[in-house]
Amino acid sequence: MNRNDIDLYKQFVKTIFKMRYKGSLLGFFWVLFKPFFMFIILFIVFSSVSGTVGDLTSKQYAVYLLSGLVIFTFFNEGIVWGLGSIIERADLIVKINFKREIVVISALTMALINFAINLLIVAVIGIVLQIQFSFIGVAYILLIGLTMFLGMYGIAFFSSIWMVYLRDLAHIMELVLQLMFYASAVFFPIEMIPEKYQFIVRYNPIAIFIQSVREALTHQNIVNLNFVLGSLLVSILLVLIGSVYFKKKILRVAEHF
Amino acid sequence: MENSAIQVKNVSKRFKIPVKGHSNTLQERFLNPFRKVQYREFDALRDLSFDVKKGEFFSVIGPNGVGKSTLLKIVSKIYVPDEGSVEVEGLLVPFLELGVGFNPELSARENVYLNGTILGLTKRELDEYIDEIFDFAELKDFADMSIKNFSSGMAVRLAFSIAIKVKSDILVLDEVLAVGDAEFQKKCYSYFDSIKGKKSILYVSHALSSVEKYSNRVLWLKEDRSYEIGSPKEMVKKYTGSIN
Repeated sequence: MNRNDIDLYKQFVKTIFKMRYKGSLLGFFWVLFKPFFMFIILFIVFSSVSGTVGDLTSKQYAVYLLSGLVIFTFFNEGIVWGLGSIIERADLIVKINFKREIVVISALTMALINFAINLLIVAVIGIVLQIQFSFIGVAYILLIGLTMFLGMYGIAFFSSIWMVYLRDLAHIMELVLQLMFYASAVFFPIEMIPEKYQFIVRYNPIAIFIQSVREALTHQNIVNLNFVLGSLLVSILLVLIGSVYFKKKILRVAEHF
Repeated sequence: MENSAIQVKNVSKRFKIPVKGHSNTLQERFLNPFRKVQYREFDALRDLSFDVKKGEFFSVIGPNGVGKSTLLKIVSKIYVPDEGSVEVEGLLVPFLELGVGFNPELSARENVYLNGTILGLTKRELDEYIDEIFDFAELKDFADMSIKNFSSGMAVRLAFSIAIKVKSDILVLDEVLAVGDAEFQKKCYSYFDSIKGKKSILYVSHALSSVEKYSNRVLWLKEDRSYEIGSPKEMVKKYTGSIN
């Protein structure tokens, strides 16, 4: 990493960020407004439909609902943006020989920024609803965020290359993510699912992350610690193996756009 | 190697082009599961060797489709050769197009930072150069305007003004002059004069008069994938002779 690589990384992230809200009247405020109002709408809809869920108070349920959504959104954006990162910058890649890894990390960084903003909004809503946060609980949520970030970064090293050779991956991924959403118990506690289908959620890593974040937020419990640490290890391995694979495969990608 | 900036040794490059449109969709494979995707093989370059000496202005000429752009992309490390090798001594910056990465929605100033960084400058260097860049491009009053509202001439002027600030020992230039008007071309030529002998240049152009005027040596790529290297006058004469 030299100075220019870091500057280039910042430029790419800045450009994606600027382009998203270019031309809108409120500009950057949408970054905060949109998720905030989306959360408010969801909270009103679901708290009026289901009242109290399990042993959760309605205030806890708000945080419960939003945290699941924040984690899944992070997963969704990280996977989709990582997948498209190389092909979307094909125009640059066929013209100049900068470090290709930078477009991948820039895409993942965008997902991370959104994640951070969404977490902040959940924190604000939580404080307004007088939910007690524990230091250890917040630290655990950040650890899960880091684990997911590294895991998705590692996956993107593979998927961004495969996407160049098989464009259908974008549509396939959309369907898989839709399926993952319902298999992650985002809107309801796992107990609401019939027993014989619960295994789907129990073996789904995203569902486990969501469940862990929820426990940390609502009950200040640290659950699934071994699973999270194991995932962190796998994620780091994915990044290491992925970057080697990427370095090798990226050389011939420019011919296939 | 001490005297060479670029050394191209026995480079070959073959492209496989699917006969019918795209091969990288599932539709193609579902519809024709047993038929192998048919490719047309195409030799872009065949066993090409040459070197560009330090400080030399080296031009490549030849008709369309003989691999000139492929050659530049291989030298610029955008493509990898199938056989042979390319060695580069010094910092090489390719200009296969002016204004790479320009985003029409962003302002001219933002685009200077974006394009400048893509070409290898740091933010600090761009902070230092930004006034000079707008002065040279004669676009001082338009710095905060979106590039989409620029005429193509203005955009090229801006891109060129950034390009000449980029640090490099070796420049790879693909038809950069083709895009500008007479005045812009004059600016380019005076830039060529100013860097002549200081930077090594690999230049592709169809503007044969400029090739003859500025080059030290010329590589002529022919349709049958053979090639000749020689003095600008001789090569240009032979090439024009081969057309008529």
